[in-house]
Amino acid sequence: MDEVRPFFEIEGVSKRFDATQALSDVSLDLIPGEVHGLVGENGAGKSTLIKIMTGIYAPDAGRMLLDDEEYLPHDAARAQLQGVAAIYQEPSIFPDLTVAENIFIGHQDRGRLVNWKTMMSDAGEILRTLDMDTDPSMPAAGLTVAGQQGVEIAKAISLDIRVLIMDEPTAALSAHEVDRLFGQVRRLKDSGVAVLFITHRLDELFVICDRISVFRDGRHISTRGVADVNEDSLVREMVGRDPSEFFARGEHVEGDVVLRVDKLNTVGKFADVSFEVRRGEVLGFAGLVGAGRTDVALALFGIEPADDGTIELEGQMIEVASPEHALAHGIAYLSEDRRNLGLSLNQSVSANITLATLARYTTRLGMVDRGAELTDAEALSERLDIKTPDMDTPVANLSGGNQQKTMLAKWLNAEPRVLILDEPTRGIDVGAKADVHNYIDELARSGIAIIVISSDLPEVLAMSDRIAVMREGRLRAIFTKAEATQERVMESAVGVS
Amino acid sequence: MVVLAITIVINVLLSPFYFGVDNFINLFWLSNEKIIVVVIMTFVIISGEIDLSVASVMGFSAAVMATVHQTGSFPLVVAILAGLGAGAIAGLLQGWVITRFALPSLVVTLAGLIGFRGAARVILEDESVGDFPAWFDAMGQQTLLGPLPVALVIFFVGLALAWITLERGAFGRKVYVIGNNADVARFSGVAVDSVKLRLFVTSGLVAGLAGILFAARLGSVRGSLAEFFELDIITMVLLGGVSIFGGSGTMFGVALAVFTVLNIRNGLGLANVDGIIQTGVIGVLLIASVLLPNLARRLGQVSARRRATAQAPP
Amino acid sequence: MTSATARRFRRLSPDRVKELILLGIIVGSVVVFGSFVDGYLSGRFFNRVTTSVVIVAILAAAQALVIFSRNIDLSVGSTVGVSAYLTADFLTANTWANPVVAMIIAMAVGAVLGSLNGLLVAYGRVPAIIVTLGTLAIFRTLISLYSGGANVLAGDLPDWVLGFNNLTVLSIAGFDLRLVFVIAVAVVVILQWALRRLRVGRRLYAIGSNPEAARQAGLAAPRLIMVSFVGAGALAGLAGFMFMVRAGTISATAGSGLELESVAAAVVGGVSIFGGSGTMFGAFLGAILIDTLELSLVRVPEVSEFWRDAALGILILLAVILDATLQRRFTRRLTREVRGPDATDQQSSDRSLSSVVGGGPVDE
Repeated sequence: MDEVRPFFEIEGVSKRFDATQALSDVSLDLIPGEVHGLVGENGAGKSTLIKIMTGIYAPDAGRMLLDDEEYLPHDAARAQLQGVAAIYQEPSIFPDLTVAENIFIGHQDRGRLVNWKTMMSDAGEILRTLDMDTDPSMPAAGLTVAGQQGVEIAKAISLDIRVLIMDEPTAALSAHEVDRLFGQVRRLKDSGVAVLFITHRLDELFVICDRISVFRDGRHISTRGVADVNEDSLVREMVGRDPSEFFARGEHVEGDVVLRVDKLNTVGKFADVSFEVRRGEVLGFAGLVGAGRTDVALALFGIEPADDGTIELEGQMIEVASPEHALAHGIAYLSEDRRNLGLSLNQSVSANITLATLARYTTRLGMVDRGAELTDAEALSERLDIKTPDMDTPVANLSGGNQQKTMLAKWLNAEPRVLILDEPTRGIDVGAKADVHNYIDELARSGIAIIVISSDLPEVLAMSDRIAVMREGRLRAIFTKAEATQERVMESAVGVS
Repeated sequence: MVVLAITIVINVLLSPFYFGVDNFINLFWLSNEKIIVVVIMTFVIISGEIDLSVASVMGFSAAVMATVHQTGSFPLVVAILAGLGAGAIAGLLQGWVITRFALPSLVVTLAGLIGFRGAARVILEDESVGDFPAWFDAMGQQTLLGPLPVALVIFFVGLALAWITLERGAFGRKVYVIGNNADVARFSGVAVDSVKLRLFVTSGLVAGLAGILFAARLGSVRGSLAEFFELDIITMVLLGGVSIFGGSGTMFGVALAVFTVLNIRNGLGLANVDGIIQTGVIGVLLIASVLLPNLARRLGQVSARRRATAQAPP
Repeated sequence: MTSATARRFRRLSPDRVKELILLGIIVGSVVVFGSFVDGYLSGRFFNRVTTSVVIVAILAAAQALVIFSRNIDLSVGSTVGVSAYLTADFLTANTWANPVVAMIIAMAVGAVLGSLNGLLVAYGRVPAIIVTLGTLAIFRTLISLYSGGANVLAGDLPDWVLGFNNLTVLSIAGFDLRLVFVIAVAVVVILQWALRRLRVGRRLYAIGSNPEAARQAGLAAPRLIMVSFVGAGALAGLAGFMFMVRAGTISATAGSGLELESVAAAVVGGVSIFGGSGTMFGAFLGAILIDTLELSLVRVPEVSEFWRDAALGILILLAVILDATLQRRFTRRLTREVRGPDATDQQSSDRSLSSVVGGGPVDE
């Protein structure tokens, strides 16, 4: 390996927030043209590091060097001017402006006037090098998440960014889009950009990274070349203990069919979907992003009722025209977009827990029975081990993990007969993933029929009793646990015969 | 709250009769009907919406009532019901458009503000309709319960009901959640559209009631009845600490704000200050109520940051 | 719609489509009204419309300027009143002043008032709807105090003031191109160009399109928002000048209610209340459409003049519904093209008030 000097260095950086020491004496360096992976559990300090690198926070101690000079930006804009930028899971673009404008907005050097022709052609050029055939004159609102990310990368290229931080870039991408993203990253590499690549999907690291650093509890644990590590060693360093056996569902009893769906159909979204789920069973839904799985879930939950087809719950035909209907019948849905669709942040823990079941606590006069509410909320909080000063605390004050548990508590309080979980472990680190899998297993054992939508193939295989595969709006296959292998499921999802 | 205390002190200084019951009633005199609408507007704004049309609906309902009565073939009671119905329908129409097409309430109720004022003018043209039976005028001008006129009784009763509903009721809970994050509400099984629709219908109905009471007090109805009241109403709600973005605020805060505004108007009125200027003062108060906490927060942050960097090792 | 027309529409940006639709509706209604109203398609009517639309057209432009960055200015009506009054007052004391001086004074007054709004919204971080609700009252109060209840009388103004409204630049067969109209058009054209070609103009749209992203990209939002309010104030001042030349006698209540009309005109003109989209030209067309319809309805003998506002309300509703459905269909078509027919349409529709009022506390 040739000795190229690092051009970006972080030395002994520490950061504290009230009672939490987010980072302790952390050091890291970046070599031009390398893809440097960064892994660690949630709370390991990765996002704090990003914010310090991009100038949103200032470190309490330590320093950063860019080209051997002190680097301490006041804000994200200044960091960008110096060549450091970050792309997050939810890219921030200007939906009403054209793609080209999105790429070039904020450029100081291009003068006062906008030259539309050159802007469009320059944008087109950059997009082409990124393997994107997007029309730069199109409003950015029409882009997919992958497209938006591409625009952000294009922006970075146009700004001559030298350190690009990518935070969970593949979370919402389909396999094909991930490939294209990697191609774009490689192009960045070729032009000497250092990419700090943060992900929970360990397998990706081995495809794209040159070196991998591990953080744990706010400390830098190790930095090694990609050839010197494997998944197990990484997990061990991330978690600080031997990784538990990858969770796999063991023996259990399954009851009668709880939910039977027949020929569910919505024009443009999915067609001819039929399946059934039993009590105590976990039915996995595999497939590529965009295959229609969430659409089916939304139909079952009444957000976007299907055009036709039947839904039978415990032997009775039911209409699910709205989420209230769904909940009344005992169908609950945990959305994949947890941040926006899970909790009412201003309100208390107990109010959130009872949110989906208000009817139960409403007296005849329309008042809320606070006593009953408190009892149930406390019970669930204990059961799920939610750490909160008291039930009246606004959920905004809770940690991410506890917020997640509060959300789960909300749905459990609804005592559903069918629980649909959409990407339950997206964005969750390895340690917590196992916890979630345990919960799912427990829930199933308590008699709930569970549908798990997941793009994480190993997870789907380990968790599910049967696996349904969707592709392009249709249910292509249902495998039993015995029949399912990663290859078979993948082939079915992708369409290779 | 501090402001309220100050205004009360000033008022007392200005008039030794301040604590008399009569003066208390007098306090409300000019705004009897407006404040009834403030109560429902609180709900609307907490839910994340706004209703700019309330004053126009007041005028519209009064106009409908006056016209129905004028035809002579219906007893006044029926006319009043017609007016109330008109208000409810106005609210229903707007609420339906807002929920069905997912349109911003600011724009839809702006259209309503212009449209219903226009409708009131269409009905009444340039005339003024008076000539109501004595009991109608009495309702507006005389007292009902002890020293309180009808409108005030309704206000206090409404305030109490609203307080209970908002703080303790399931409906109030839903309003808060919707204002906080309508999508979370929807995904948790709250019937968002239904709640919003109910809010707008109620808003229209209450506005109608207020309009009719106002007409009763004035003794006549013109097409321009209650013109520009909406700004006052919204100001009182916002002054009460209800966030314009929805999801927070209390009925108690709004009640305080109402009382404060009335005190200010009363005090300034006693000092012979013109109505327009009074409104200007309220405007200053409105801006200050949001500006000062903002500034305080930022000063706090700046000093915290300074403290933090001071503590960092050299 | 045939697929060829559809394809051509796809090439056009949504803004162009909206403008074309507006133009079409205006032309269409002129044709319709012309067919059954006597003397409709005459020079006299044209002149009436072009002179009466000037004030609201300029205000619509002012409002659009502010709305693009996701704010609103409810104080424009009061600003019109203040600037009209002060300018008129100045002229009675200084009869030597010519129109240009008067316009400059009017705009300066407006700019000062606008800067107060700008300061509070951009630096005080107070939501625009609250600030301008307050300044609406405050400005009115100030002029009330200043005027002491006295009106500025038309008779005391220099002679040119009263004739200014009728000054004609060009006249063809009775169709006059009035100076005031030309000024309004010039204003719109300049602003349209500025917002399209100047970088700061594009940034204004960006701020309205995604305030958080704008902040992170270092787009100097506070300064830009300040500029937009000062600009809106100056335009409202100009509208005050126009008000003065039309009204002659100015009272302290001049301009009341104009703010709502300006918002209505902008909205009808396709300016999204959420910011980020719409054009000056669209707002201008919106003002023209409203005025044309109002004045046309008046000429239809069966319709009483009191229908004016009611019709306007309905018009706004229809315009907004149309705009929203167009926007949604456009995005859906784009999305379908780009993502393929299976794409999930899961959009969280943030149509609540919070995304409209602007200047809100972005996470601190």
